[in-house]
Amino acid sequence: MSRPKRMTRAVIVGHKSILKETIDALHDVNLFHIEDFVEDESGFKISKPFKNAEEVSKKLVKIRSIANYLGIESKKPVVQKTDSVLRELDTKLNELDRAISAKTEAISQLEIELKDMEAQKREIMPYLSINLDFEYYRGYESLRVFAGTVKSSLEESQISSITRAYELYYDPQSKAVVLFVAKNDADKVYEVLQGLGFKELRVPERGGVPSELLRFIEQKEAEVTRKIESLKGEIESLKAKYADFILASDEVLSIESQKAELPLRIATSENAFIIDGWTPSEDYDKVVSVVNSATNGKAYITSLEIRHEDEDSVPVEYNNSKIVAPMQEVMDLYSRPKYTEIDPSSAILITMPLIYGLILGDIGYAMILGGLALTIKKLVKSDSVQSLMNILIYCEISAIFFGILYGEFLGFPLASSHTEHGVVPGLIPGWETINLFGGIGGEVFTFPIHRSHMIMTMIGLSMIVGLFHLNLGYLLGFSNVARNHGMKHAILEKGSWMIIQLGVILAAAGYLGIGGSALMYVGAIVLVLGIVMLAIGEGIAGVVELPSLMGNVLSYARIIAVGLSSIYIAGTVNDIAFGMIWADHSQIGFAAIAAICVFMLGHGLNSVLSIIAPGLHALRLQYVEFFGKFYQGGGRKFNPFGYIRKYTEE
Amino acid sequence: MVEGLFLDAAGMKALGAAIAISVTGYASAIAEKDIGTATIGAMAENEGLFGKGLILTVIPETIVIFGLVVALLINQ
Repeated sequence: MSRPKRMTRAVIVGHKSILKETIDALHDVNLFHIEDFVEDESGFKISKPFKNAEEVSKKLVKIRSIANYLGIESKKPVVQKTDSVLRELDTKLNELDRAISAKTEAISQLEIELKDMEAQKREIMPYLSINLDFEYYRGYESLRVFAGTVKSSLEESQISSITRAYELYYDPQSKAVVLFVAKNDADKVYEVLQGLGFKELRVPERGGVPSELLRFIEQKEAEVTRKIESLKGEIESLKAKYADFILASDEVLSIESQKAELPLRIATSENAFIIDGWTPSEDYDKVVSVVNSATNGKAYITSLEIRHEDEDSVPVEYNNSKIVAPMQEVMDLYSRPKYTEIDPSSAILITMPLIYGLILGDIGYAMILGGLALTIKKLVKSDSVQSLMNILIYCEISAIFFGILYGEFLGFPLASSHTEHGVVPGLIPGWETINLFGGIGGEVFTFPIHRSHMIMTMIGLSMIVGLFHLNLGYLLGFSNVARNHGMKHAILEKGSWMIIQLGVILAAAGYLGIGGSALMYVGAIVLVLGIVMLAIGEGIAGVVELPSLMGNVLSYARIIAVGLSSIYIAGTVNDIAFGMIWADHSQIGFAAIAAICVFMLGHGLNSVLSIIAPGLHALRLQYVEFFGKFYQGGGRKFNPFGYIRKYTEE
Repeated sequence: MVEGLFLDAAGMKALGAAIAISVTGYASAIAEKDIGTATIGAMAENEGLFGKGLILTVIPETIVIFGLVVALLINQ
């Protein structure tokens, strides 16, 4: 069980003439967490950023907007020299900026054209079925032209009963109407049309036959689309050409900008500066020597005593081995430990995969998911994905172990079992289930453990696992309280819970007649003693919390509950798939193929569920039940001033 | 066989187990719905609340576990 890294508070003081050297040295060593200076009455002020800050951030904004536009993603780094990147930066950046803005401008111009043509097409569409040259629609003195659509269908007789001086074009399908009628009768005809729900449409300004116009526009449209595609292709090739440059210069500029803006975070007077911050105690000497050599010993560095009331604000850096490190992700998801607390990463390294394995316990799913995790780990290089996959691999190893204990493979039992219906063979011939001893409620405890045949026994076992887990939590809490507030508090606050459990167990044993009935009274006395201690230690709030202990222990019943749900899903998939094959006696028929599909899909689904359900429940048992016993969290992240270079080197 | 209201003893046991599971299931669902909605709202403001939100959301799940234990005990 580790505690966070010991920290030393260090203060660096010097003349402003060596500020730049000091900042460069601190940035390179990447071990110093700088406390932001808040202006107060001391007379010190924050300083101005270095002269190049504005220019650097301008370029940085430009390069990031280009990277964003091109969709540049981090990839396998090609390491470049910092000074060569800086030398080429201006010319390359301008070149890139010009090329991209010319191309995007052209694209947006073409897209406007495209939209315009779309509008023209929409205008022509209704006239397509009538296909009359648009020139004929206008320029009459004694004729009125109605062009539009009607809602209900139009009979020619409706017009001819009013006037004989008309010419009607009507498409019954699209209900488009073009009607030429003498001006004298126009009003009457208009009334009839209105009765049919007539809606007038605009006649396009240009002349020409609609079908030909449409063909012409479509041709042009295709041409413009082709142009846009080729421009996009050119941008894509720009991306390939400049990706390395963009990534490297983003990094170089980020570093420059961090350094240039540091004066905004430190205290300065007319001629001097003070940098206040934290460094891991083990690295203090290194920081001192680096700063001294960079400034020829002109900077003054000293370490300060950490006051007790400041302990909560100390930045926290984990102090774990490489094996435990992935669990830090799980910790950060909840909350980073405080500086004064035990870091439970190494405890959950054991308990979380253990509970996951107890829940899943299936060799088949463990191998599928383990393989998946290994593949993703190979393919995706991001740090957080790597840690998550490592956690998943730990969990699957535990699941394989319990899979052997349970004798399960994709829901099939591996060993044969004796039931009321005779011997049911398992997947591995010759592996027979051995009866070991009686369990709870008339069940028999066997090896391998057939979970679905001994539910009550497994619930009991799950709760025993829970008791151990909870008491580990109380022990860690005991250690935390003992360290920070003394042994007396630890015994009253955390020890009392363990004494209460002891009392309950003794009383229960006495009640069941194990070790004599006198034990029951002893247990009761121990229980009362524990409750009194708790009341002294945590006050009335602690006593009110008592029933939650039972809730916490019962909560571990989910270990078997979630496990069973996974078994039943797998078993159902197997039953359906094999039922289909047996129904059809031909060797490879439709049913067999369908059965394979059902088998693959069903187990695929259950594999995904096998990450989510056991994973979340294992996590919850850590966060709620386990952490609730001792953990506070809320520590600040140790965030050293510096940069982890990927694409450049000095 | 002892007769219940509509069913024999085994049937009443099964019904009792079903009620234990389904009512506690609903109870958990209603409680988690409210907490989950609030959690997602909070996460929209601050991504870092995921861990705390997850914990708060799954706390009522214990209700349905109690239901399961009761259902199993009924069938003992």
